[in-house]
Amino acid sequence: MGIWGDLLLTSVFIAAVSLALFWMAAFTLWWQMHAWRTPEVLASTRFSRPDGNEHVSFSLLLPARHEQAVLDHTIQRLLESTHTDFEIIVIVGHDDPETTAVAEAAAGRDPRVRVVVDTHEKKNKPKAMNTALPHCRGDVVGVFDAEDQVHPELLAHVDHAFRTTGADVVQGGVQLINFHSSWYSLRNCLEYFFWFRSRLHLHAQKGFIPLGGNTVFVRTDVLREADGWDPNCLAEDCDLGVRLSSVGKKVVVAYDSDMVTREETPGSLMSLLKQRTRWNQGFLQVYRKRDWKQLPGFGQRLLARYTLMTPFLQAFSGVIIPLNAAVALFLDVPVGIAFLTFLPLVTAAVTFVFEVVGLHDFGKQYGLRVRLVHYLKLVVGGPFYQVLLAGAAIRAVWREQRGRNDWELTSHVGAHLHDTAVIREDVPA
Amino acid sequence: MTSTLPAVTTSTVPAQRQPVPEVRSTSRTTPSQRLRSSRPDLLLCGTLLVAILVVQAWNIADYPTLSDDEGTYLAQAWAVQQGRGLAHYTYWYDHPPLGWIQIAVLTWIPSWLSPGSMTVGSMRVVMLLISAVSAVLVYVLGRRLSLPRWAAGLAMALFGLSPLSVVLQREIFLDNLAVMWTLVAFTLAASPSRHLWHHFGAGLAAATAVLTKETMLVVLPALFVTMWRHSHRDTRKFAVTGAVTACALIGFSYPLFALLKGELLPGGGHVSLWDGIKYQMTRPGSGFVLDQSSGSHGVLHSWLYYDRVLPLGGLAGALLLIATWRWSVTARALAGPALTVAILTALALRPNGYLPAMYVIQALPFLALVLAAGTASVAHGVLRRWRRPDERKWMTYGRYSLAAVLALAAGAYVVPKWYDGDHTAVTADANAPYRAASKWLTSEVADPKDTRVLVDDALWLDLVHDGYRPGLGAIWFYKADLDPAVTKTMPNGWKDIDYVVASPTVRRDAVDLPNVKAAIEHSTPVATFGTGPDRIEIRHVQTTGTADGGLR
Repeated sequence: MGIWGDLLLTSVFIAAVSLALFWMAAFTLWWQMHAWRTPEVLASTRFSRPDGNEHVSFSLLLPARHEQAVLDHTIQRLLESTHTDFEIIVIVGHDDPETTAVAEAAAGRDPRVRVVVDTHEKKNKPKAMNTALPHCRGDVVGVFDAEDQVHPELLAHVDHAFRTTGADVVQGGVQLINFHSSWYSLRNCLEYFFWFRSRLHLHAQKGFIPLGGNTVFVRTDVLREADGWDPNCLAEDCDLGVRLSSVGKKVVVAYDSDMVTREETPGSLMSLLKQRTRWNQGFLQVYRKRDWKQLPGFGQRLLARYTLMTPFLQAFSGVIIPLNAAVALFLDVPVGIAFLTFLPLVTAAVTFVFEVVGLHDFGKQYGLRVRLVHYLKLVVGGPFYQVLLAGAAIRAVWREQRGRNDWELTSHVGAHLHDTAVIREDVPA
Repeated sequence: MTSTLPAVTTSTVPAQRQPVPEVRSTSRTTPSQRLRSSRPDLLLCGTLLVAILVVQAWNIADYPTLSDDEGTYLAQAWAVQQGRGLAHYTYWYDHPPLGWIQIAVLTWIPSWLSPGSMTVGSMRVVMLLISAVSAVLVYVLGRRLSLPRWAAGLAMALFGLSPLSVVLQREIFLDNLAVMWTLVAFTLAASPSRHLWHHFGAGLAAATAVLTKETMLVVLPALFVTMWRHSHRDTRKFAVTGAVTACALIGFSYPLFALLKGELLPGGGHVSLWDGIKYQMTRPGSGFVLDQSSGSHGVLHSWLYYDRVLPLGGLAGALLLIATWRWSVTARALAGPALTVAILTALALRPNGYLPAMYVIQALPFLALVLAAGTASVAHGVLRRWRRPDERKWMTYGRYSLAAVLALAAGAYVVPKWYDGDHTAVTADANAPYRAASKWLTSEVADPKDTRVLVDDALWLDLVHDGYRPGLGAIWFYKADLDPAVTKTMPNGWKDIDYVVASPTVRRDAVDLPNVKAAIEHSTPVATFGTGPDRIEIRHVQTTGTADGGLR
């Protein structure tokens, strides 16, 4: 034994870790590239063109909190929709007179706008939406955020999708656009791009899907049957998707670059960290609720398990990959084992390359000019973003352990308009 | 139940499933979506495969003559199997090792069942597997490049039955393995589903081909063109970058391997990848191929000796396709193979390039494909071009008669020649002297374990199985001059050698190898097998009678 025994043990350990990391990264990559597998798959991710018939009526929920500055514009834009049968229900808090005033004014101008007041003592988004759910008159409930820019033809497309596919849920695309704002917003935008453009479609196809926080449409009866949103879950959107798909409801995802709901990235690194912490904690909660265990297929349950644990696996692999490679380079392990340690690095490199291509495609799709410096930022920022994700994952576990599952509201950093907006960007990525 | 939306059918999303979305005349069969379930394709391909295997397998051990290179690669595969590293002498980055690692894997089971079978003659059998896979891939690739069924079959037959192919594909050459991987890459690149991971796989296969035989590097641009043509506009950037990345990453594993071993750059007392590449890049040229007196011309002549149809006809086919690029759908579909032939031809025409005899191997499948495509083009021209629906009957008969005459003429030219060539391949015994020499060294030498023999690579494994010590007992003859690890065990030079097995290779190369030359000069033949320049002599080194002799 002695040195040789140690070396053997180290080798076996390194090989096992390397292979595990490799398969993790390979699967993630495989799923991330789902939409581009074949031209046919790519074509199938888009909305099909509406046929002009409109049979579905919409109730659009618009929860707004301290958002008097942007709310009116969002309502006006929603009212410009080409669809003929919809109502907008603005949900405001009883302690928020400024936003209420804006909402009431809009309601006075257009009969399609109604205002519902949420009187919960501790407020959050699922509670607000549950308050409004009994007031919905439409066949389908849609959710938007107060600062969303919604395309006027979106409702017509969603109407068509409901009718032609027999779906219970339609998830439209959400896209962060301001990639040029900072190094992390670049990566954040791209995360959304890969998630909504590609990965979500795979989830829809496999029958397990964590929904996004807005541009999501659910049949009203299905939503009421499911008792609305879970008011105690930090990722109520993800939870709803998991619950609905676990009982076999049909979810359809469609992404069209001109039809997506456009949003902005969090205004500071700290708010991005907080947002991500909340998602991760939410994912953890959804995982522990075990609704996904009702999924019929073993593969589906595996996908659910893996997806809900992704933030933590991501954090883990971000730390381990470089460590592993360093061990291989500096410790005297056999060449074959050293080779194995490079496998995860190879998948990481492939992922990087596809991200660069994805950024190019993102620029093309949205008519945005992506410069060389952005590509450089993307590559150089990668490891740092990984650190951020790892930090958020660790923070989430810590908060969940301590039982702190409040909506980390902005009072810590001084009530700041932008931050309130931030906590409602409910899209897992 | 959940699912994605059905495919959009607007004009902005042209998601057809045809590999080449051009208009084709109705008479040509479109490749079926699943070649696997198309009965005529399976029948044709299967029949040809059986024919190819019979011709290539029959007499495989006895013809052609055992080549030195075969011995080298098989011996190194043996070293891999024995756990002696990548070669039984120091591995010096002459070629990437993946080729003989594959040979080691292929020969693993037979050599485990019968260790004595690990010799060049008997292990040629495993090359049949490579030939079979490659031949099928030629057919599949032909179909994927929109060749009609008969033309794909023709390509497969040309590739597998040309006497030149039969001779070269029987031999344990790295090039044959590399060709197989290249064909895998082309076939995946032309995947009708245009799947991202098929293209990624094409990149992996291409890298494997290059790591099997580095010369495949020059074919990559043609592979790229094929992939570009067969990918869809909407997904192309992902598919093509994915493939290039895959290829590069796998390719980098070779320098990484050298780096991990500390042998990337030259340094005192160790071999290096850099030196290996330098050696390959500075190999002395063999002259201009069209210069009658050059070595390259001799190589060309040796190819044409076996078959003129495939090399020259293929070249003509490539020229025809390139010339008719503007008008011919077939020419555009075959852009990849035609470009491959063009690149390889251009490289062979370098004024003073090094042209090894195996060079033509990597061109064979592409020559076959372009020749078949050229034939298809001509057939199309004769039968369909400028044909109107109301064409007179006699005109149609005329077209078919002309086609029949052309086919008969081609058959009359090719079949007798190929029959002769393949007849030789299945009947001639070129290796009797080798077998006899091996037998003599087994039975007539009393103490093989303590006997030192200079032998060429082709016979080396035979001696190892007969009890000679691998490396320093049975010695690759040129190592006696070129490998310090061997020369330092020979303080008395040629006098430390007992026998020289003077095969044609040894006699040819001894000119530049002082120790080998001296050993030959100071030895007398004790047994001779065969006659003339192809004879093999076993020469016993005479140390007695010289000044400081008598030590041994």
